[in-house]
Amino acid sequence: MTTSSFERNRCTRISPSAVLDDRLDGKDLEWARDHLRRCEACRERVEDFREMLLRVGRLPSAAVGPAAMDEAFALSIPDRLRSEAGSRSYDIAPAPPMPTVPAPTELPPSLRPEVSSIPDLLTELEREIFRDEPAQDHPTRLSPTPEPLYPTMVEPEEIESVRPAEPVQHMSFYEPAPTEPDPIEAVAEPDVAPPAQAEALPEPLRAVPVDSHREAEHDDPSRWDAAPSLTSERSVDEEPVLPFSQDAEVATPVPPHKPDTAMRIAVGLGAAACVLLAAVLYEGGWLSKVVTGSATAAKVAATANVRPSATVRASVSPSQSLSPTTAPAAPVLFTLGNGVSGGTVYRIRPGTAIAGYTRLVFDIRGTGLPTMVITRPDDLHVAVTFQNTTASGVPVNGIRSYQIAGVEPAVQQGADGAITIDLARPVRVTAFTLPATGSYAWRLVVDLHTS
Amino acid sequence: MDQVHVEAPAFSARAACVEREFYSDFPLVLNYVARLMDDIDSAAAVTCAAFRQIADGLRHRPAGEGMRRAEVLRVATELSRQSLRPRRWFRRKRALQVTLEGFPQSEARRALRRDTVQRALSALPFEARAMILLRDFVKLSYDELAEVVDVAPRKLVHALDRSRAEFGEIYDYIKF
Repeated sequence: MTTSSFERNRCTRISPSAVLDDRLDGKDLEWARDHLRRCEACRERVEDFREMLLRVGRLPSAAVGPAAMDEAFALSIPDRLRSEAGSRSYDIAPAPPMPTVPAPTELPPSLRPEVSSIPDLLTELEREIFRDEPAQDHPTRLSPTPEPLYPTMVEPEEIESVRPAEPVQHMSFYEPAPTEPDPIEAVAEPDVAPPAQAEALPEPLRAVPVDSHREAEHDDPSRWDAAPSLTSERSVDEEPVLPFSQDAEVATPVPPHKPDTAMRIAVGLGAAACVLLAAVLYEGGWLSKVVTGSATAAKVAATANVRPSATVRASVSPSQSLSPTTAPAAPVLFTLGNGVSGGTVYRIRPGTAIAGYTRLVFDIRGTGLPTMVITRPDDLHVAVTFQNTTASGVPVNGIRSYQIAGVEPAVQQGADGAITIDLARPVRVTAFTLPATGSYAWRLVVDLHTS
Repeated sequence: MDQVHVEAPAFSARAACVEREFYSDFPLVLNYVARLMDDIDSAAAVTCAAFRQIADGLRHRPAGEGMRRAEVLRVATELSRQSLRPRRWFRRKRALQVTLEGFPQSEARRALRRDTVQRALSALPFEARAMILLRDFVKLSYDELAEVVDVAPRKLVHALDRSRAEFGEIYDYIKF
């Protein structure tokens, strides 16, 4: 199991995962061992991978207490299966969780007092208000304290209500949770569940799990079988509003949905209106006027680029036509050649690999040397124009060196062919020509020296 | 007394098997999901949902069959992916929440946030992250891993290579 690729001149023949996970055998294993003995790059890669593997393997795992395990078991395994298992889990589990639970519960309370205080303040405020008012306004709805909280806090549902609802529902999930909300819960419902308090008394910290909505779930075990999917869990995804609203028969589930859909429609309509307005403004020319200057300038530049190549070339100086990208005054470095027309540049040869300079040899097929103008539009470009010569189609791929970033494909502007050299760094340019001798054609030699 | 207690309940083989497997695998799957989602709060809900999905499917299977770890991990991975998948604003739902008593402990949450390895993992694409965690954290075999991530075993080496290389690059970039 090896790979045969190279990345950036680095040997990657060995697959480190294959080596580390013992996926090699026989000849592959022998070959890999032999290669690893000789190839330092592969050895390094394998070592790097081994470190990564160990790093991930050493990641710490969060401990799950026995009480949490029991709770998760009750949540995850359907009632049918749990009942088949008899009372086994509940015989074993209660004993260990007792000593282990206090430790985590003691730490958190001081960390986030403000989170847990929000719902309690609200409930207290509610109670204050409704205590002052005559009882007929709120006859029975508010008497079971925890129940009405859910519909009122959760029903707004979309975004705003999430904040207040979460601390109430999942108070025990945050650090302060296990201990923080429950004393307050106990204060909040002294009249409803005194027996629960009495049970919790022997273990003050075990009083924490006594959770109003948790009890509500366990009350009807048939829910697990009735809805085998996630609905029975307290999953917010499944919109806990529904069960609660069904139980409490609260009349308010409709209003929060209306504003949501209305708001969504309003936002959508507003966005559509904005788009339409922008389109109208644009079509009417209001927006385009802002950009007019640059747009027209670009148009003019584009037409100027396109047209002069055919017309201006004959009349204007060669430096105008030679560089298609940069317009007017590219400084002319050299003008070489004998003015022969009808030739063809058919090859560019990069010269020998000498550190100081790069040599480019342009081979020209024809009866003599055409007029060749070498210009320098900017520091990182050198343009060579062959007048009355065909240069299009000359292969330019793969010409790179310390001085040259690349050679752009030749551009034929009328009768002239222009080739632009992209430089990797500023260079000093020298050039000369050579006549055709033996098997060699007419040649233009351009040397790019590192300055 | 103890012997009587053991003999007394009608103990179906499947139920016992499920219970044993649940108690042995749940912490591992929970930690894996927490690392995969980079969210220890939602991990409990996803893990419970995965176990529940597998347990619900058991009724259609032969009697002696229990919950296989690879299967639970596959479902947990898929649920995590769905949970992390970005949704359009008009279909957005709040994440699942299940409260487990005493989990996560505050130091576990802090460790998850601080850990450089975890931060590098969370910067990986989901598939790469799942692959690395399943192989190096959960320590699945190649066959199990192939089943979980649904990649042919012969391609796993290359997939792991790519994932680990990417993980290494990210880790080297952020470690200081």
